[in-house]
Amino acid sequence: MGIAELSLVLFGVSVLAGVLGSLLGLGGGFVIVPVLTLVFHLDIRLAIGTSIVAVAATSSAGAARNVSESITNLRVATFLALATTIGAVTGALLSGIFNTRLLFGLFGLVLGVSGLQMLRNAPGRHGSVGGLAKTAAPPDNAPVFAMAKVDSPGRAPTAGKAHLADKLALHSAYYDEAEGVEIPYVVAHTGLGMGLMYLAGTVSGLLGIGSGVLKVPAMDLAMHIPMKVSTATSNLLIGLTAAASAVVYFARGDIDPLIAGPVAVGVLLGATQGSKLLAGIRADRLRTLFVTALVVVAAQMLWKAIS
Amino acid sequence: MSSETFAYGALVPPSPHGVRAAVGRVLHIGVLVSAALLISGYLVGLFSDPAAYGSHAVEQAHLQAKAAFPHSFAAVWDGIGHGSGEAIIVAGVLVLILTPVAGLVTSTIAFARRRDWLFGAIATTVLAIILGSFVIGWLTA
Repeated sequence: MGIAELSLVLFGVSVLAGVLGSLLGLGGGFVIVPVLTLVFHLDIRLAIGTSIVAVAATSSAGAARNVSESITNLRVATFLALATTIGAVTGALLSGIFNTRLLFGLFGLVLGVSGLQMLRNAPGRHGSVGGLAKTAAPPDNAPVFAMAKVDSPGRAPTAGKAHLADKLALHSAYYDEAEGVEIPYVVAHTGLGMGLMYLAGTVSGLLGIGSGVLKVPAMDLAMHIPMKVSTATSNLLIGLTAAASAVVYFARGDIDPLIAGPVAVGVLLGATQGSKLLAGIRADRLRTLFVTALVVVAAQMLWKAIS
Repeated sequence: MSSETFAYGALVPPSPHGVRAAVGRVLHIGVLVSAALLISGYLVGLFSDPAAYGSHAVEQAHLQAKAAFPHSFAAVWDGIGHGSGEAIIVAGVLVLILTPVAGLVTSTIAFARRRDWLFGAIATTVLAIILGSFVIGWLTA
């Protein structure tokens, strides 16, 4: 096999990675890196450099559409970017201090727990208004939420905990094509979300991995942001974090154009398609798909901890 | 339910459409420019040295990180001048990497023009952190 054939295979795999990556707010590295290293035995340094390029491609192509359609929450993304970028710098500065195996193991466990939690929270979000008040979570289901609002006008289910989000005017609404309605949502626990984003950024800096797998659960579980908005907003965020580190990889010579190029083209195409799918997909299906990806990534991390 | 929903929506306005559209447009342009460079660079390389693209040895050299390619701005610029396909691809990759940053610059300007000083300041800080990490990364690479 030569470069030409390799390019075609990488292009195909990357289209798939781009679709999944932009739908789920992940970089797509979890699809590309195992193929590059296990199937083609690509040098790990180049594999990580290629993965960073894939993250940038997923982010830009995915966000281009979803920012304009306001599925992405630009204010939330901008505010949280403070935490993720400072976290990424912290992680880069701390790298080498901690035992990487232990970190991968810990990270795998955290992902596993997040996945379980996301599955557990899912049914309550489609339950009654009473169940809604108990969990204080804006649902993926708009009409129920709208009723909850009418019951207590001007007071969100999370009122009292959402002061920072009020001041920053983070609350918003998006039009859900699958439901056929506009879904307003209230952002909760901004401080907690900020802390988790800092940790997510630090982990990605420490381990050289994209941290969408941590960013989406942080927005979904802690900040009660609807699933679609979480993945779309994560998508915008991962591009900024990737840009901060990608220049280093470029300068070190970790980005081989004949490998990263075909991957980038495939991811751009896939992510553009994925961002078109996001508006129409049902939120519960998106959640199931995300948790599945989370389990795959958790298994990869635990594998790195053991091997 | 729609009237209540929209009444509620009006209480908490999303970021104005102008900002989002501008950011979306910049990202879209970045993606198109990058894709054009990536594809044309690949084709230039393919047509200028078809044998290399079919060679098993060349492929293995790239997979084992033994192949040489431009990885500094000067080398990329120089390579483009000499019609190097690889340099054009790297230029496409660089455009791709910088596209999210261009989106951030756009939203910073848009926030400031709307006199949303708080978010203007937040976006500027994020920009400073990213540019700072460019510099740190560059010096340590």
